[in-house]
Amino acid sequence: MHNTENKIMFAFSEELDTAFLHDLYGDDLQQAEMVFESSAQQIKTEIVLAQAKFHDGDLQGLKKVIHKMKPLFGYIGINEVMEEFAAFEKICLEEQAAANLEQQFQYILITTQQSLLKAEKELKRLKQFNTQYL
Amino acid sequence: MKYQSIIVEDLQVAAEFLKKFCEKSGVIDVVQHFLNAEDALKFLKDNVVDLIFLDVEMPGASGFELLDQLVYAPQVILTTSKTEYAYNAFQYNVTDYLKKPFTYQRFLEAIQKVSKKSEQASGSSEQDHLFIKSDGKLIRLHNDDILFIESMGDYVKFITPAKKYITHNTIKNLETKVNPQVFMKVHRSYIVNFTKINDIQENVLFINGNMIPISKTHKSGVMQKINII
Repeated sequence: MHNTENKIMFAFSEELDTAFLHDLYGDDLQQAEMVFESSAQQIKTEIVLAQAKFHDGDLQGLKKVIHKMKPLFGYIGINEVMEEFAAFEKICLEEQAAANLEQQFQYILITTQQSLLKAEKELKRLKQFNTQYL
Repeated sequence: MKYQSIIVEDLQVAAEFLKKFCEKSGVIDVVQHFLNAEDALKFLKDNVVDLIFLDVEMPGASGFELLDQLVYAPQVILTTSKTEYAYNAFQYNVTDYLKKPFTYQRFLEAIQKVSKKSEQASGSSEQDHLFIKSDGKLIRLHNDDILFIESMGDYVKFITPAKKYITHNTIKNLETKVNPQVFMKVHRSYIVNFTKINDIQENVLFINGNMIPISKTHKSGVMQKINII
């Protein structure tokens, strides 16, 4: 938790892409907190929209929502989910019926929930750190 | 020098992130942020910027559709989460292509490219001629000799009073290469030498008896540029 100047440093959780997050935010942990908060909030909003599109059978609309959500996982250091969303986005373009995507969409929903838990846990840590040390 | 820029991005988080990087760089002023291409186009009809940070997939028109309708050619940095647009990015002669989310280091690299391109452009704008490759030769054409340039698919035709030269190029590419003090795109298929226009009637202009269409999207730009007394 200390750097070479003996300054207390924040270490991102190991379950996230720590190297990427460090590159992305550097020492600006206030920005990290703000982006984690906004990203988590927007993921929550968009996933509701995605569910509505899926239930309406609107695969074009669903594809657009998935595309918009994709980079949000990058901002919170869950890059593998970004790739999973990219793959699902492609499937949405190829498939004709939403019913054929039921299983994949359920997986997307579960992945999103798990990612949100990680993001909120990290946000809590960031808030605590920023309140205490900044 | 500070570059005047706009951000066209439907993802608020990404736009905020980018604004912060611009501020941190000290060389980019973000004049405005638009959530869609249509609003950005309205703004760009009356305002000139040096740089556009442009998302590709947005609600409504895409980033490429916005570029199709621009009457001038500011530098463009595409910001997208897809790598599949690389070919289009090359076709549209964009300055750089940033895949979201990108780091500050990567952002700075893009800004360096903007700066380099800007230096090259300021050099070329002072030029009074250009070289074209035609009939296996490099031919020098003075700006003053060129009446207009017409698209022919993958080729363009340079019309001078004495001769027509056909060369392998596109209007889109030439738009950034010709001297903006002299030339202007008036239609997706035409760039004209502004000093050679004889008259304008509704949506067409005439140069040496040649009738050239002015597209709806370029009309206001043309009217702004001509000196109406």
